[in-house]
Amino acid sequence: MPDPIKFTIDGQEIEAEPGLTILQAALEAGIYIPYLCYFPNMKPYGACRTCVVDTEANGRKMTLASCTAMPMPDMVVETKNESVSELRRGIIELLMSEHPHGCLTCHRIELCGPQDVCQRHVDVTDRCTICPKNERCELKDTVRSVELDLRTPLNYNRRDLPIHADDPLYDRDYNLCIVCARCVRVCDEVRGDTALTLVSRSGVSLVGTSHGTSLMESGCEFCGACIDVCPTGALVEREYKWEKASRQVTTTCTNCAVGCQMIAEVNRFDKVIRFRGDVNGAPNLGQACFKGKFGYDYPNHRKRLKRPYFRKNGILTNAGVDEAFSAAATALSEYEPHEVAVIASPRGSNEDNYLAHKFARTVLKTNNVDSAHNFIDDLAVHIADRWDIEHTKRPIWDIENSKSVLVVSGNPTEDQNVLAVPVKQAAKRGAKIVVIDQRETELTRYADVWIRPRIGTAHMAVMGIVRAVFDATLEQGDYIREHSTNAEDFKASLWDYDLGRIAHYCEVSVEEFAEAAAALASFREMAVLLGADTVPKVRHDALVDAVMNLRLLNGTADGPGQGVYPLYFGANTRGSEQMGCRPMSAGSEMAARLSEIWGSDLPDLEPLGVREIFEAMRERKIKAAIVMADGVDHTSRKLGDVEAALGNLETLIVSSVFDNTITAKADIVFPAAPFSEQTSTVTNLESRVQLVRQASDRRFDEIAGWELFCGLARAMGGSGFEFQSSTDVFDEIRVSASGYEGLSYDALQKGGVITNGVSEADHRDPNFEITKPDYTPFASHGMYFAPGRVLHQPERETTLSERNYLNVIDRLEVIELHPDDAKSIGVSDDDIVAVNGQDGELITEGVVALADVLKGMVRSTTLFAELATYMEESEYPDPSPTVPSLDVRPVTVELVSSAAKRELAEV
Amino acid sequence: MVTRTEAPVDTYAEAMSQQTQYALLRARARQHWQGLVDGDKPWVRVGYGASGQAAGADAVYEALKPFGPDGTDQINLSLVGAYGLMYLEPVVDVIVPGANRVFHANVAPDMIPGIVAHYVDGRDSNPMHESAYAYSGHRDRYVGDLPIWDDHPANSNQTKLLTENFGNIDPHDILQYVAHEGYSALNKAVLSMSSEQVLEEVKTSGLRGRGGAAFPTGLKWSFLAPSQAPVKYVLCNCEEGDPGAFNDKGILESDPHRLIEGLIINGYATNSTHAVVFIRQGHDIPIDATRHAIDQAYEHGLLGENILGSDFSFEMEVSLTGDSYVAGEETAMMEAIEGKRSTPRYKPPFPAQAGLFQKPTNINNVKTIAYVPSIVATSGDEFKKIGTESSSGTALVCLTGHIKRPGMYEVAMGMTIRQVLEDIGGGVADGSERIKVLQTGGPLGGVMGEEAFDTEIDFDEMAKSGAILGSGGIIVGDETTDVVDLIRNLVAFNQFESCGKCFPCRLGNTHMLDVLDRMCKNEAKPGDMQLLETVGNNMKIGSLCGHGQLGYNPISSAINYFGEEFEKRFNGELEKSGPFGDGSMILPSRTRP
Repeated sequence: MPDPIKFTIDGQEIEAEPGLTILQAALEAGIYIPYLCYFPNMKPYGACRTCVVDTEANGRKMTLASCTAMPMPDMVVETKNESVSELRRGIIELLMSEHPHGCLTCHRIELCGPQDVCQRHVDVTDRCTICPKNERCELKDTVRSVELDLRTPLNYNRRDLPIHADDPLYDRDYNLCIVCARCVRVCDEVRGDTALTLVSRSGVSLVGTSHGTSLMESGCEFCGACIDVCPTGALVEREYKWEKASRQVTTTCTNCAVGCQMIAEVNRFDKVIRFRGDVNGAPNLGQACFKGKFGYDYPNHRKRLKRPYFRKNGILTNAGVDEAFSAAATALSEYEPHEVAVIASPRGSNEDNYLAHKFARTVLKTNNVDSAHNFIDDLAVHIADRWDIEHTKRPIWDIENSKSVLVVSGNPTEDQNVLAVPVKQAAKRGAKIVVIDQRETELTRYADVWIRPRIGTAHMAVMGIVRAVFDATLEQGDYIREHSTNAEDFKASLWDYDLGRIAHYCEVSVEEFAEAAAALASFREMAVLLGADTVPKVRHDALVDAVMNLRLLNGTADGPGQGVYPLYFGANTRGSEQMGCRPMSAGSEMAARLSEIWGSDLPDLEPLGVREIFEAMRERKIKAAIVMADGVDHTSRKLGDVEAALGNLETLIVSSVFDNTITAKADIVFPAAPFSEQTSTVTNLESRVQLVRQASDRRFDEIAGWELFCGLARAMGGSGFEFQSSTDVFDEIRVSASGYEGLSYDALQKGGVITNGVSEADHRDPNFEITKPDYTPFASHGMYFAPGRVLHQPERETTLSERNYLNVIDRLEVIELHPDDAKSIGVSDDDIVAVNGQDGELITEGVVALADVLKGMVRSTTLFAELATYMEESEYPDPSPTVPSLDVRPVTVELVSSAAKRELAEV
Repeated sequence: MVTRTEAPVDTYAEAMSQQTQYALLRARARQHWQGLVDGDKPWVRVGYGASGQAAGADAVYEALKPFGPDGTDQINLSLVGAYGLMYLEPVVDVIVPGANRVFHANVAPDMIPGIVAHYVDGRDSNPMHESAYAYSGHRDRYVGDLPIWDDHPANSNQTKLLTENFGNIDPHDILQYVAHEGYSALNKAVLSMSSEQVLEEVKTSGLRGRGGAAFPTGLKWSFLAPSQAPVKYVLCNCEEGDPGAFNDKGILESDPHRLIEGLIINGYATNSTHAVVFIRQGHDIPIDATRHAIDQAYEHGLLGENILGSDFSFEMEVSLTGDSYVAGEETAMMEAIEGKRSTPRYKPPFPAQAGLFQKPTNINNVKTIAYVPSIVATSGDEFKKIGTESSSGTALVCLTGHIKRPGMYEVAMGMTIRQVLEDIGGGVADGSERIKVLQTGGPLGGVMGEEAFDTEIDFDEMAKSGAILGSGGIIVGDETTDVVDLIRNLVAFNQFESCGKCFPCRLGNTHMLDVLDRMCKNEAKPGDMQLLETVGNNMKIGSLCGHGQLGYNPISSAINYFGEEFEKRFNGELEKSGPFGDGSMILPSRTRP
């Protein structure tokens, strides 16, 4: 650590870390210098000039913008003297000449309301009181800090521009813009999207989109970062636009596994009205995404379930909570252990998940308990087996330090949005990106090598890269020799992996493997984003083995930029896994420990995962179930036909925030308390345990998940469920879940903590996993649909139309087919075809383009903005979990109208 | 006996004996030149710079074509750059083998047959029209008693360093440049001098930046030279957007190789690897000339790997801006070359630390670089003999406005402005009474009243007067010039061309323009003068780059010299100004009224 720089600001001695600007040093020391264009986590810009200060160093006096000037030893900085205050006031006066400021210079600023008669005859449009950001305007605070005069001699120019209110989710009113370019810079520097730009020059330069297009076309990610940094009312969320917050609570977003720290603003009616990214939040550093930023407000929905109810012969009757508990207990006690199942919620807290599996295993005596979105638990578990310390615990933003990134079969831009941000930043800094996926996603646009293996062969594609690394002798020989004992055996086993055969099996060219090997293996700093969207469950182990072998070859361990990030679905799937809410056999190490803590033996039944549980329901093997439905994607096809499965049950007990297709099949429904009405903990994909803080009070009979299981256990006579609060539950978790020792709510108040599943002492050096190649074909011959979605398609024209006063994308999608497939279906270029699912439902319709795709693949890439439209228009009160993901599935293609016929008709 | 290039022709044998690439090249070039001058036909050249084209050189050239190689083949035909005495355009310059060289000025297409007949047949002994000049005192039957070109006051008062080849060589022909000792300085530098020696010569010469800031060039280079980075850039700035300045473009369109040679030497002295010549889009003639010249330099081994057989390698290319004045600011220029919106960066880091693509970078003006070959060819001390103590060398001034002889002239530093106006410019234009006001140094420079005309042309002296030498543009206004209106036009330009990044410049210029507009319409409000001063001073201290910092300059210097006129305007004692007499002005479309 280099020596701090000592200097003085306004007579106060400051010791600043080298590299900090004068402004940053002052803010750290608690000295306020007014600023507008500066924002934490972004590069200095030096445009607003409100942070000017007088400096004197080495006998030279200068007036500098403190946001760009570095302090020098023994510098004397004055921030408030007469001349610099006058200059600052002059600059702000200039600024006010084009920002509506009628109220800013008025002494009644605290007293007036929006409807009050103005005694100074200020135009309505020039008043702060009618600005959506009136109460939380940063510009207002800045201006007031310089004590601006009531009268200014400058002419006021109102821009009189139309308000852009026709894009989804947020409004842009450039009459209020001060052109500080924070939004443009955050979009470019932090998000890497450049959807916003500065347009025109001179006095009329302004923020906008390139060529004035809609945000739908400009590549906007609808992450809301621009809104969070805007110091004025120019950019605001449309929902609750004019609502004022009376307090704010820092909490954790429960829409995906990133676990963004958000500041929830709560109004005087106890509603959460706004979500802002918390700049100090470790997983997100102030960033958010379309799901989190705009999908937080479902607790305020009028259709919330308020009381438990029964369904008997199709008739619904309200019930009291205790009545419902005893009814549920009676119903459940009729079944054998192997006939019942518990499905935990992916949004459920650690407390909920812990008690769900404790309830299932000790009261119901079953092993049929899993989290609803637990599709890749075996990946993480297998990584843990292989590496011993569960996957290397690098923080998300450490990806920025990576020199290469391997993304396997996942789409973080949509499913774990903020995780994709550092990947893009790394790419901008020159990191090599390799994507293994059949689908075109945002990250494939950043990919140096995009390997498109046939569906289900990703594991062999990774082994192909491993082989190519060896062939090019790019491996870290010294590292391998030092850390592994079976390198020679492994090397010998690679002879079974013939690159030509792998290439043939994956239908990828040998050169692509060589390119990927060169891109990945040149550096030890390789991050892996490991998903299994298009990998069947039976291949998960092989995929993990291959990836871990590649990491070992690279010498990638647990240093900076060397993380593995499993791409979990569901906000707390990682936590539920750590709690034990996953397929776990009685013989396992964790089961042994739990039975000791719980004082009861764990059931000795075969554990089923969530997919198997639903399959068993469809086969009527499981007859009763408890489903925690909050945050479950009830529209998803990932679990097969959910409605049929649930319909087969004799008893279904559901806890849900809203009525949906799951509660429609339920016999007993409990109203669930959403995230904002309970204090609990969740664990994100970094294994970081974070607090979800209660923001508002419950008003009806809503109960949190852990309370449901306590109530049920009480009613069924189970013991070990005498918890009074979630803190009590966490006290037990601390004992039973490994890595949670020493954690407490008090400790988590200061910020999340990354847990370590296995103690560091157990760390052992890894060895290569020697496997036999597996060339079994994945699926029957047939067409597979690989949908894609990207932010920006400059190569394709986008047309928009208006629906409900909002822009929507209105264009015919392009369906890409292999020429042979097109021939066998009997279609050709420019024909319009329909792509139908297995059940005959229409997935998409579009115009055929013969392209370089694999035989048997149907590809179509749409625009990301359609997801923003989905968030805006969805019929579900809680749209975030149901946002359609890019599912690869078998399809049939049929001709709708042929181009030749259309031409004939035109003639 | 014909031209100034009477150096003896090397034979190939001699060149071979010297064993250098350059000697061979020069021998070839001299032979080429001799072939042109001593051919069997008259060699007719048309001044084809922007000024010539504007005056109708196109039509003249078309009229000459039927006599050229593609027609009756009675003459050899070439295009050359602008001579500098632009009021004489279009110029046709004739060399008959063995006879004196003749300039025909203000040529119209209908004079062409007569001129050709005179030189081809020798029938007409009276050279056709009154405005023709003989190059030297040598009298022969073609010249008769024509006045002598070098005795013309606009020529005899010039000191030619940069412009010596102007109008005499074809900018598209590298051999003509080499024949006039072109690239000899480069040859000397890379083969017989170390980069430190070159840098030392430049330091000794006292050369200061000609872009406006007058920063000592050698000092600037020495910031870049020590850096060990593998890629270093030297940039040449020809954004030149000042109204009334056209000398950078003049160099590029008349003698681009001088710049290229200077730039390569600049690269050698600072151990750089790449050069970019940055030209404003739309300046097509200089762009074409420069691109062509760079291609030729590559062809002749003057750029690329192992230049002239040395171990110095250097790359060069041309980059264009969009339509932006601020792109001429050095950091904004780097943003533009990187393909971004051309807005200035904050400093530090200075370009020499992190410039173009974050690599160490030097930025110099075209004129600055173009002096370098003559400094290296002779010596820094030799260069320092020209000009004044603080400002060595010459200044390239562009005279426009109410002046008798508008044009581009090179004068030694230290000449007074009055001398330039009277001796070279020929005084106020016909029909005007007196010169009332000068606008110098571009729209961010200032104005100057009659009392300051005795100021010497010198960076420091000019700055003391409130106006700056800047890029060298001098716009002359006669007694009818409305100073407030003139200033309003300058401020409108500045407002229009502000990049819109920093608040003081973006908004301050708008408000200053508002005030000046009110004054010109006789609608000034009380406090307006105070407002101008406050806003202007805030811009001066508060702005990010020179565009804002200097934005108040024209107003403050105008108030200094013409305070009375401002007073009258303020009090509404004068007629409304502007071209329509109603106080309005013709505004660029983006400017807000």
